[in-house]
Amino acid sequence: MKIKTYAVLKDYFPHQADKVSSAKTINELREELIVENPSAKAILNISRFAIDDTFVDLDMAINGTEIISIIPPSSGG
Amino acid sequence: MQYISNKAIDVYDLMTQYRDDEAGAVVVFNGTVRRQSLGKEVTHLFYEAAEDMAEKMMSEIITEAKDKWNLSSVFAIHRIGEVKIGESAVLVITATPHRKEAYEANRYIIEKIKHELPLWKCEFFKDGTKKWGGNCNCHEVTGDVNKHVYDLT
Repeated sequence: MKIKTYAVLKDYFPHQADKVSSAKTINELREELIVENPSAKAILNISRFAIDDTFVDLDMAINGTEIISIIPPSSGG
Repeated sequence: MQYISNKAIDVYDLMTQYRDDEAGAVVVFNGTVRRQSLGKEVTHLFYEAAEDMAEKMMSEIITEAKDKWNLSSVFAIHRIGEVKIGESAVLVITATPHRKEAYEANRYIIEKIKHELPLWKCEFFKDGTKKWGGNCNCHEVTGDVNKHVYDLT
């Protein structure tokens, strides 16, 4: 899968990276990322996830081929 | 229509472009960069977006508002990249025959932009520090990062 991060999340993870993951859901992926970088736990826990540019819930199933964007809280305006 | 742009927003030019003779009320929200934030002097802002997502979502927000308030004209644009003090970062124009709908629609659009659009500002301060903003803290109330305070009403 490909992981894309933005804004403050780029302080913890690359902006775009290919990732091999055994996660079966978005929630499992989030837990994997927290293990990978525990200091990102707080921001990951309040971020939204999108698959192929559409927001999804944490229980969404994944198969490892998706493009997953991790979206921290918005701050436009 | 392009909703996300790295070019300066010319407010007066856009207000002229979006003159609407069907409207008796035109509400303009112009979000500008202020000099002070968090008690510190700001040098500039930098905006980043997940551009494809943001364009798609902005289009959906505009369509939703246009239908809900029967807008005769509507326009919104958000800047990305470096934005200097006093410059416009976001502009929303709503036009309707009467003011109530124009105000409501404008407020709706800017709140959606601030809470939901995948777009972020980073404040750069004169003391050399920077801070990524986080306008949306709705999850503290709703308990769900995908639900915002206005979804509860």
